[in-house]
Amino acid sequence: MTGLPSTGTAAAVRLTDLHKRFGALEVLKGISLEAREGEVVSILGASGSGKSTMLRCINMLEVPTSGTVTVGGETIALVRGRNGESRPADRRQVDRIRSRVGMVFQSFNLWSHKTVLENVVEAPIHVQGRPKRECVEEALGLLEKVGIADKRDHYPAHLSGGQQQRAAIARALAQRPALMLFDEPTSALDPELVGEVLRVMRGLAEEGRTMLVVTHEMGFARDVSNRVVFLHQGLIEAEGAPDALFGGGGSERFQRFIAG
Amino acid sequence: MSLDFFIEALQRLLPGVPLTLTLAFLSTGIGAVFAFALAGMRLSGILPLDWLARGYVFVFRGTPLLVQIFIIYYGLSQFPEVRHSFAWPILREPFWCAIIALSLNTGAYASEVVRGGLLSVPQGQLEAARACGMSGLLLFRRIVLPLAIRQALPAYGTELILMVKATSLASIITLMEITGLAAKMISDTYRVIEVFVVAGAIYLVINFVLTRIILLAEHWLTPHLRARPDGVVLPSDALIGDRA
Repeated sequence: MTGLPSTGTAAAVRLTDLHKRFGALEVLKGISLEAREGEVVSILGASGSGKSTMLRCINMLEVPTSGTVTVGGETIALVRGRNGESRPADRRQVDRIRSRVGMVFQSFNLWSHKTVLENVVEAPIHVQGRPKRECVEEALGLLEKVGIADKRDHYPAHLSGGQQQRAAIARALAQRPALMLFDEPTSALDPELVGEVLRVMRGLAEEGRTMLVVTHEMGFARDVSNRVVFLHQGLIEAEGAPDALFGGGGSERFQRFIAG
Repeated sequence: MSLDFFIEALQRLLPGVPLTLTLAFLSTGIGAVFAFALAGMRLSGILPLDWLARGYVFVFRGTPLLVQIFIIYYGLSQFPEVRHSFAWPILREPFWCAIIALSLNTGAYASEVVRGGLLSVPQGQLEAARACGMSGLLLFRRIVLPLAIRQALPAYGTELILMVKATSLASIITLMEITGLAAKMISDTYRVIEVFVVAGAIYLVINFVLTRIILLAEHWLTPHLRARPDGVVLPSDALIGDRA
């Protein structure tokens, strides 16, 4: 469990035949996907295509109806409850896996009663049980890295959206995650604030971090990611290197999607 | 009406303040435990527990506190089983009967306040906590409880003030708190107005101090809702003045 850049080729995350059903609505209809260590995968698709649901299945914020999720070589055990809904067999396994997967949300979701610094050190100290001093020092470094060191004693409500999202990225990094999940990290931001967040994410990609990014930012998908996955109605419709896909290699629907 | 009589009344009623405060704080404290338990039952998703808590709140919110006090103090002693039980040393004391009735009653009201506070915790912040590996007691202690308390505090403050006033009903079962002493003084002097005005004024002062303490607690617990460090002042600041 290290956050160091890795150039290995082991699968950081593997999804196999993932299905997710909300009542009568089938959102994921059999998704299989693998991301290797150090890879940056952009996940594109129209709203309702299932891309956020897929991402949320990786850390069990949504429990897949069927299929398997493997993170860092460890497959999350699922059982079917009496009501027919599937659920994780072992909560502790899920907590353990979550503690090494960083997640960044569309609406930031910083804890409003804690300062920026307190937000960042929360998980390392209280979930991972690391020494406080070490965590604070590391957190200050992370805030420096995302460019809001001067805001460390501010409360989230006192920051702009871009600053909040950068704080949320620092919070996720503080977990020393082996995998980072980004769920439309710039969709709730004013246009002039998108750039500062994307710059931070680009920096993380260049460090060789493993990232799965659900996004509408075509520039980021094309220039930063190693691979692009295009979802349509709960299935992977096109997948490949950004050059190939954006160069006209994707499906016709993908070409129409990026044409806007 | 003479000033001397007001001073005399004050001297005779003030000794009731400690008992009034003891009744109010002890029962609010015990009631808070009930309130959390009941709110937990309501939100547990376990149907029998949910209905049990609903039934409890329905009964204790729907009947007068005075009736509850009478049932516990006069009613229970009619059963020989109660008189011979281990609980009798407690149930024969008017003080403990009042504490029990007040606690059960405030527990019902406060459980709704607590439930509202728990429900007000933003889903996204819960998700962020789960996503970094928090669950169970850790999640409750670090994220849910602090956020819920801040939300519930204003309503809980009102409940505390209501409880201070509700303690006056304990005078009916012979307790010599402020109202009990006032009633006794009136039966000695027949000067209803002066004595009750003094009694009312004492409650007013207690609740004034209490209100300030609650406001202070709110101010202290919600730095994230206050003025921004860059000097922008939020409306909530005006309520209490700038202590920073």
